[in-house]
Amino acid sequence: MSEEKTTISRRGFLKGAAMGVMGGTILGMGVYSYSPWRKSYFPEVKRKLADIGVCKSVKVTNISETSWFENAVLMKDIKEAGGLLVNQYSYNWPPFGDGTGLGKGSYEKGIAKIKHLLPNNLEEAWAVTEKLSVSPQNAGGFAALIEIEELDGRKRKFLLDSGWSYKWMDECFKREGIDQMLKNKEIEAFIISHEHFDHFWGIPVVYKYDPTITTYYPQGFYPEGLQYLKDAGHKGKLVEVKSGELNRLIPGLATYNFPVPIICRVYGEQSIYVNVKDHGLVSITGCCHFGIIQFSETAFREIKYEKDQLYGIYGGLHISPFEDWDPKYDDLVLSLGKYGFQRIGCNHCTGILCAKKFIEAGYPVVKGTARNRSKDTAYLGNGDKIGYGTEV
Amino acid sequence: MERYGTGYLEERKLIPRWPQPIAAIVALGVTLAVFYASWWIFQDPRGWLRMYTPYVGYMYTRWWLIMLIWMVYIFNYWPFKRSWLENSHPLVKGAVLTAISVVILWVLIKGFFESVLGNFGIAYFNPERLMKLPRMTEFFALEYASLACLMFAAIASWLSPAWVVACEEVPWQNMSQPAKGISILVFTFFLSTLIYFMTMHSHMGILYYPWQYFTAIAPPYWEKFANTVSGNFHVAWIMCCTVTVWLVETIWERFPFKLIRTNWLRRVVAFFGIIAIAWAMHFFLYFAQELTWGPAIRGTRLINAPDWRWLHVGEMAVFFLVPALFLTFYCNNWPRRFSLPVNVFVRTVITLAAAIALYVFYYKTSHDYLGTQKGFMHEQQFPMIPTIWLINIWLVHHWFMDNWPAWKMVPKTAEEIAADHAAEKAQLADLRWNPALGWGLGAGALCGLAVYFIALSVLPWAYKNITVIPK
Repeated sequence: MSEEKTTISRRGFLKGAAMGVMGGTILGMGVYSYSPWRKSYFPEVKRKLADIGVCKSVKVTNISETSWFENAVLMKDIKEAGGLLVNQYSYNWPPFGDGTGLGKGSYEKGIAKIKHLLPNNLEEAWAVTEKLSVSPQNAGGFAALIEIEELDGRKRKFLLDSGWSYKWMDECFKREGIDQMLKNKEIEAFIISHEHFDHFWGIPVVYKYDPTITTYYPQGFYPEGLQYLKDAGHKGKLVEVKSGELNRLIPGLATYNFPVPIICRVYGEQSIYVNVKDHGLVSITGCCHFGIIQFSETAFREIKYEKDQLYGIYGGLHISPFEDWDPKYDDLVLSLGKYGFQRIGCNHCTGILCAKKFIEAGYPVVKGTARNRSKDTAYLGNGDKIGYGTEV
Repeated sequence: MERYGTGYLEERKLIPRWPQPIAAIVALGVTLAVFYASWWIFQDPRGWLRMYTPYVGYMYTRWWLIMLIWMVYIFNYWPFKRSWLENSHPLVKGAVLTAISVVILWVLIKGFFESVLGNFGIAYFNPERLMKLPRMTEFFALEYASLACLMFAAIASWLSPAWVVACEEVPWQNMSQPAKGISILVFTFFLSTLIYFMTMHSHMGILYYPWQYFTAIAPPYWEKFANTVSGNFHVAWIMCCTVTVWLVETIWERFPFKLIRTNWLRRVVAFFGIIAIAWAMHFFLYFAQELTWGPAIRGTRLINAPDWRWLHVGEMAVFFLVPALFLTFYCNNWPRRFSLPVNVFVRTVITLAAAIALYVFYYKTSHDYLGTQKGFMHEQQFPMIPTIWLINIWLVHHWFMDNWPAWKMVPKTAEEIAADHAAEKAQLADLRWNPALGWGLGAGALCGLAVYFIALSVLPWAYKNITVIPK
């Protein structure tokens, strides 16, 4: 009898315990998890304060921000090819067109048509690819010239990105004198922000003028991109910038690679920090897929900069590149103000709508001239310049 | 009187053709093959129709799930007669019922949302109307309209089954089909509409420039609490509700709510209890992300953005649903040998472990075979699409095809049905209050709290030491 009682009692206890464990866990989850007490679990942010040096000023020339000319044409291609997750090399856009039509291309088939012409016969290469590609007239590109003035007054030049269309980028390079600067080896390094078509596919135009230029690209390139770096005619030093590492180039200038997955099957983006004497940190980006606030937070965590001040922004901020919108973008518009940027030079994938929302919010957006096929004065257009620590 | 499929799922006996785990492995193999083939045809960005744009494919995936729930849980297979359900070959049943679900799906999306609601009510459900906005492209018009439809689907996929599982179909439980189905459908659809306006409409209202102050609450009322203006905050808890409903229905066998003997009280407690558990899950899964990736930063993008963190709460929740359904559908809700609370506890632990393993497996490998990209966060990727797509295939397989070919369906005899009812009564009778149960409950609750706080300590360590995303 007593043995039976013990058995029953043990069973009862186990049943209660099973219920209790689940109930107690759910109670903890519900009461504690979103309470202010949870913040005691967050580690304090330890600033590494890495020294990247300091420069006197930086000037940026917008070689081209019009990655494509008609958004409707680009989005029609993307829609019909299957959306924003489709591998960019399969769209059959130039220069990798093979004549098979939208969404049916590949790097291998496309490059086979033009490889023998790279990088010295780009006019013919573009003529070939125009006939075989989808929407070749819509291709533009993003590229910027960064001029750093060192504390002793010496000026050093870097090229950020190479754009997309060989034809358009060559025209833009000539317009801003980039072709001569490359020929004269005045530009000491070429920084590729990421593998996207509009930032990277124009590399033969760079190598046509300076095939030996040192090239920095972010870790995360797909095999097609790595092969294109070779096929485009590069003969110089090639440096892969590791994810999450600070890559110091000259005093005051460093790049940082963010390991982020990006639309059209791209991975990783490299951006630039410039520490300007008596002003603060300037962030220069290609597309900023990781977000400008993440970029700023990373700077705060990783590096030491003048006056502990986030001073300026230049480049695409990847908010509404296709003139699309999402409430999360409003989170950015509402939050950016508290970071205290004093000079915002945005364009490209920031989107005109976003630039207008920035202006409405009272942010110090530097307006453009809307020339050379740029569409709106709300942001810096093709051929426009901006200075940080210097007037332009 | 014709019963159609009322009670069909409870009154069928699924006899495995091979001993376990062979039957479960065969079922998994068959359904995964169908999953992968159909994924390639319909969703894969490298495949044929490439509906993973992502919202178009996501919308159809979510609504297809609801079609299956409507057909089986709300309409009890009406208008198909019981004899047809019992005597037709599973392949025939699967083909016919799946085809019907797809037709209803198409009529609902194109007919109701786009044509009726989009033309006579709210313009943003109709992509053609959105095209009239300045600078709008066809791609985003379709994406925005799909987003609105799928946000509605998220709510319906919680409320439709909840009215059956928690509220036990009241007050229409004694009606015959199709009147019962229509009543529940109309009511849950009405309720979904109300909740849609209170949770999702403001998201859509600020999607268009300028903010639609006079037609939607802008900025939304949840902004300060959720640290975002995005409706993903609501998507998260609503997804947790959907998952909790199905956990309660499957591995929990409607425990603990079925211990309440008073009908109205049981139904009310079950409905709101599911919401309470879902909110606990909602908060915890958000906190879990803060513990691994650090606090969210408003205004940033990708993995640190609060809007994505909330969305990921819903995504993580669905990972729990996958093993729970597998355990119920293909493992006969193993184990069954212990008391009900212990069975439920063991199944929950198994589900948790399997969900974590599946989560790690998914993020380690999905980019190699689903046409997606590596990384936890990608603005255009939603793990809910493949997970719900797989769940849909399992629902078709289990509800429409009786787990064919690894199982054979035989209707239970009246004696077997009576024995089931008696066993359930005995199981509940076994759970009477006694001091030992009380001591166990108290000790268990303390252990549960300890488990919770241990998990908080383990999570950052685990994330630091386990490489989920290869470089």
